Amino acid sequence: MENVLNKEIKKIIDTCPEVGKILEEFGIGCVPCSIGSCLLRDVVGIHNLNPQKESTLMYRIEKAIYPDRRISEPKVGLSKKSTPKKISYSPPVKKLVDEHVLIKRLLAMIPTIVDYVMTSIKVDKDLILRCVDFIRTYADKYHHMKEEDILFKYVDNNAEIIQVMYKDHDTGRGYVRQVVEGAERGNKNQIKENFLAYRELLTQHIKKEDEILYPWIDRQLTTTQVGEIFRKCNESDASAGNALPRKYEKFIVEIEELFLQEVTK
Amino acid sequence: MSGCPGSKTIDFSEKTVQEGSESGKRPSQLRQWPIQMHLVSPHAPYFQGKDVLLAADCTAFALGDFHKDYIKGKSIGIACPKLDTDQEVYVEKIKALIDEAKINTLTVIIMQVPCCFGLVQIAKEGAEKATRKIPVKQVVVGLEGNILSEDWI
Ligand SMILES: [Fe+2]
Ligand SMILES: [Fe+2]
Repeated sequence: MENVLNKEIKKIIDTCPEVGKILEEFGIGCVPCSIGSCLLRDVVGIHNLNPQKESTLMYRIEKAIYPDRRISEPKVGLSKKSTPKKISYSPPVKKLVDEHVLIKRLLAMIPTIVDYVMTSIKVDKDLILRCVDFIRTYADKYHHMKEEDILFKYVDNNAEIIQVMYKDHDTGRGYVRQVVEGAERGNKNQIKENFLAYRELLTQHIKKEDEILYPWIDRQLTTTQVGEIFRKCNESDASAGNALPRKYEKFIVEIEELFLQEVTK
Repeated sequence: MSGCPGSKTIDFSEKTVQEGSESGKRPSQLRQWPIQMHLVSPHAPYFQGKDVLLAADCTAFALGDFHKDYIKGKSIGIACPKLDTDQEVYVEKIKALIDEAKINTLTVIIMQVPCCFGLVQIAKEGAEKATRKIPVKQVVVGLEGNILSEDWI
């Protein structure tokens, strides 16, 4: 079992698809991951399962890979009614989770905005560019840079999950460039495809951060580090100015009201 | 049985030692004097930029590994929210620790008895009065020296 633990998850699933199904049953969604080079050891570690769950999971994986091996079943089974525990974040991480809320409100509006673009005669370039400004300034510069420049620096930057996060941020930037190009050219399909792709990417990305990455980082931080990160994030926010988050909150409220009226008209 | 749980008599002398080791000597992790909240000055060099532990008096006796797990690497102030007088002074000192000594974090460690939560209240008040913001953590210790909870507040 030891050497399986040190194998890349994608390779394990490729040779034994059953493992993917088992992981999914335990709420570990490695199958759709585009990279999949995390080691099985880290995949299990990062999800912080309780000891019973973890030993049941390892037993089932081992059984799936080596059906002929005689492996003793762990005594305690997977408890059916194990309720998902509420995640408690350290203050600086909590601030980042709260920022996700505003980003998710924009993501929620994207399908409506896309519909509006597709059905209007002329592309509303101004609206698209204002959304892009929100994404580039609030989501990327204000939020993602705190992750990249501060928080992620406190954990192993070569960890696969951190690499995936950097890659997501980059992929997102690519989609946004395409949206801008679409708006410049008046190419509705280009706007639609890339806006929806951005929405899908960021939705999954934020879910991964809230549920897996941030709690994993929090578990590794010392009290001193929590204080340091809190101070650095506050300094970063202060240099951006108090007006910045307020300006973008106002923007979100504005487009929510605008499109809510469209719908109820 | 009624009355204040903070002063209720409980005897767990029958409790047998479960784990841990008594071998070896453990050096003190205390790096300052004084420690009592009325005696300490927020301007003392040992507070500047540090992680500070505000400990209810009883916690040090209840916890077997108080030095190793809680004092190590921190500066400390101790107080009893039930018996100490002039507790407004504590609120002001906490405010000064945050604003003037620019401490990095504040950890408040208390016993599980209800009156001990007064110390968390004092810490919260001081932190709210301060203009700087810092992370504040609450640790609750059970009567038998077990950690009941550890949360950022
Ligand atoms: Fe991110
Ligand atoms: Fe994020």
